[in-house]
Amino acid sequence: MELELKNISVTLSNKEILKSINLKVENGEFISLLGPSGCGKSTMLKTIAGIINQHEGSVILGGNIIDNIPPYKRKTVIVFQDFRLFPHMTVAENIGFPLKILGVNKNKCRERAIELLKKVKLVGYENRRVHEMSGGQIQRVALARAIAAEPTVLLLDEPFSSLDTNLRKDMRELVLELQKEYKITTILVTHDKEEALIMSDKIAFMYNGQIEQYTTPKNIFNNPANTIVADYFLEGTYIDGEIMDNRFLSELFNIDVNKNNGKYKCLIRPLAVRPFKSHVGEFLVINKIYQGDNYLLKLNSTIKDLTLESIVPDFTDIMEGDKVNVEIVKDKLIFIPM
Amino acid sequence: MKSTNSNKLLKIFLYITLFTILAPMAILILWIFVGRWPWPNLLPATYSLRAIKEIFAPYSNVFSILFSSILLSLSVAILSAIIATITARALVLYDFIGKTVIEFLTIAPILVPGAVFAMGIHIVFIKLSLADTVLGVIIIHLIYTLPYTINIMKDLTESVGKQMEVQAYVLGASPLKSFIYITFPLLTPGIMASISMAYITSFSQYFITLLIGGGTVKSFNVLMVPFIAKGDRSLSSAYALVFIISTLLVFLIIDKIIKKLPYQDNKEEI
Amino acid sequence: MNKKTPYILIMPIVLLGVLFIFGVINGIVQSFGYIPAFDLTDITLDYYIEILNSPTFLDSLKTSLQISIISSILAVILGTILTAALVYTGHTEGKILQIIKLAIIIPHTIVALFLISILSQNGLIARLFYKLGWISSQGDFPLLLYTKNNFGIILGYIWKEIPFVAYFSLALMSSINKTLGEASENLGASKLKSFFYITLPLSMPAIGKAFLIILTFSFGAYDLPFLLGATMPKALPVQAHIEYIHPDLRHRPYAMAMNGLILIITWTMAGMYYLITTKKNKR
Repeated sequence: MELELKNISVTLSNKEILKSINLKVENGEFISLLGPSGCGKSTMLKTIAGIINQHEGSVILGGNIIDNIPPYKRKTVIVFQDFRLFPHMTVAENIGFPLKILGVNKNKCRERAIELLKKVKLVGYENRRVHEMSGGQIQRVALARAIAAEPTVLLLDEPFSSLDTNLRKDMRELVLELQKEYKITTILVTHDKEEALIMSDKIAFMYNGQIEQYTTPKNIFNNPANTIVADYFLEGTYIDGEIMDNRFLSELFNIDVNKNNGKYKCLIRPLAVRPFKSHVGEFLVINKIYQGDNYLLKLNSTIKDLTLESIVPDFTDIMEGDKVNVEIVKDKLIFIPM
Repeated sequence: MKSTNSNKLLKIFLYITLFTILAPMAILILWIFVGRWPWPNLLPATYSLRAIKEIFAPYSNVFSILFSSILLSLSVAILSAIIATITARALVLYDFIGKTVIEFLTIAPILVPGAVFAMGIHIVFIKLSLADTVLGVIIIHLIYTLPYTINIMKDLTESVGKQMEVQAYVLGASPLKSFIYITFPLLTPGIMASISMAYITSFSQYFITLLIGGGTVKSFNVLMVPFIAKGDRSLSSAYALVFIISTLLVFLIIDKIIKKLPYQDNKEEI
Repeated sequence: MNKKTPYILIMPIVLLGVLFIFGVINGIVQSFGYIPAFDLTDITLDYYIEILNSPTFLDSLKTSLQISIISSILAVILGTILTAALVYTGHTEGKILQIIKLAIIIPHTIVALFLISILSQNGLIARLFYKLGWISSQGDFPLLLYTKNNFGIILGYIWKEIPFVAYFSLALMSSINKTLGEASENLGASKLKSFFYITLPLSMPAIGKAFLIILTFSFGAYDLPFLLGATMPKALPVQAHIEYIHPDLRHRPYAMAMNGLILIITWTMAGMYYLITTKKNKR
């Protein structure tokens, strides 16, 4: 279902956690709330689910204001970070719980549970007890249980953070698969930028109780609204400059760009820097760090107070101590208005 | 949260409970000042300070007994907390022969009513010259406080664990020093809770104190009960108030000490 | 680490434990009629047989069981409701909890005093009934203290034990409600359903333990029935004490046999609790 937050403010123990949040999620969309811990992401999920009440603003679900609808009638189902399976029930009873509450008879609940277990690839686990399951399995059950509740919106609260890397990849795929199959409007809370970039249709970047930017993964990566967003995805070196008549002027370089006039910060990420050896090079390679399939170079300018980083292929012949010049890849530069 | 009907009912229940706890206190305080309260008046006919005067009278030794009684219960409380701390440490952090026996011993007193045990051990205490002595009373109070204090300390020792202490060894502190500087401060909130728990358990005892103390060891409760049994409501109310206020004062002091502790866990999740 | 350390640490508890077990065994041995100090040396079950055939004892047993079972069941139900009230109205700490704690620090002896000034025939409630015209004299007010119905004693235990149950199970219920209760509501269960399907069943370990503690305590405690009980029949511990201080020292084994039966019943209660809880866990 389509979800909209209008002007939501939340204050908890005298601290303003969410500040006038506006957000719209289309039906069937998968969006991520991305941001550092403590930025208010989880609070936002709980506000949508009605576990926390907002001070101002409205939550609109499928066109209806749901502020006065109690949490249990919203069907805004959260998969919690700690999964919260009920320890006194079997796996099937856990998955069947949302149906049992609605008065569905026992056999139907079980049938549905077994069906959903198949979907999360846990065939034959229906009679297991929660404490007999591994972390990854528990997560699958939690997911199946959430889907059994037929969510209007599925809210995932850092669900992959407790899994190890390989399992995480499988789970991401499974979640996307089910999300597509059931066309569930989904909000994923995460602090993992990679996860957000891979999984979402859109990313809302949160910082300090506010949404800094809300757009597609590609756009947020390539056109961050400000330095906070830019730095969160990939840090680099900033250079102050000005754009006049479609030309960026700075003390390091001048370059043609297609942007409005004004003062800008230009972010030079490692991929925008292509070094090549030169005896009269302006930069000195002070550090060369192996990163698996590539190297990270740290380059110090011999003229100015400036350090650049660059990622080069693992077959590079540039060594520590070499003098190099750099070519700046125009397309990879990021301009942030000041 | 929106108040639903069941929530309203719970609130009403809560307030009724609070009323039934507080109303008798108010009546108790009123009774202290009653002079005459003839049937069927709802309020006393005359007021008097007789009960107060009697308690503060030079010939009454109310306060000296109160102080020795507090001292006795504090000794029990501190001993109980110390024994609980070291017993919990042994049970949680070490493996040793007879561990299950000790585990069982720590809860056994809950399964033997104090009155039953006191009558059973009395003759032994007489033989050991522990009957009618403060030490005898302290020992029997200790036995009946330890299940609770050990329970508190076991939970805390489990959660504090050994990691911090091990970190201290690794940094070069001796085992004793690591315990004193690292683990002990982390355990102090539990130790204080144990002291409160043991104090109130000891201070409230009547029968076992009476039997083992034999009237020679007078706790405040032992002093007060005859007035309640006799039906002197003014005087016994005055005693009861002294009992309650002194307990609250002791707790207040313990609370102050806890608040001064450097280690306080105040995590709040956003 | 030193292997001796744990043995040094448990020394005090071992000493006290030995004393404790010795006291319990000593009482049991005396109940079989073996008290050399009083020239009683025949080991026999006669004292048990005799008290089990004595109507006085059986009445006392009935009284004690009645007091402890009725008060504990009511206290555990109302105490659970109080716990839920504290959890669901958000009073898991703060002033209201302090008032609840106040009831825990008040000893049974003072509770007896409360009951005397409120429930006796010239107590506050009798006066209130008179003013309302419900009774015409003190004598019309039902006898609630020092009487066979044990109303006052039961009420006293309930007054003390409701806060105890709440205090004992509050932490568990509150933490379960915060996590699993929240999850259950999020999955579509109303507050009431979440409570009965999730929070209450998972809080049972604490509530059950609290029930066992108050049941065995009120069965074996002396203070309240001593101060508020009827002349006949007396609660078991009080009756045992009367035999205990009997001028004829040959009565001592009767007291001890009564204590022995108190122990047997207490242990039966604990054993049943143990069986029920382990069965549940195995399911």
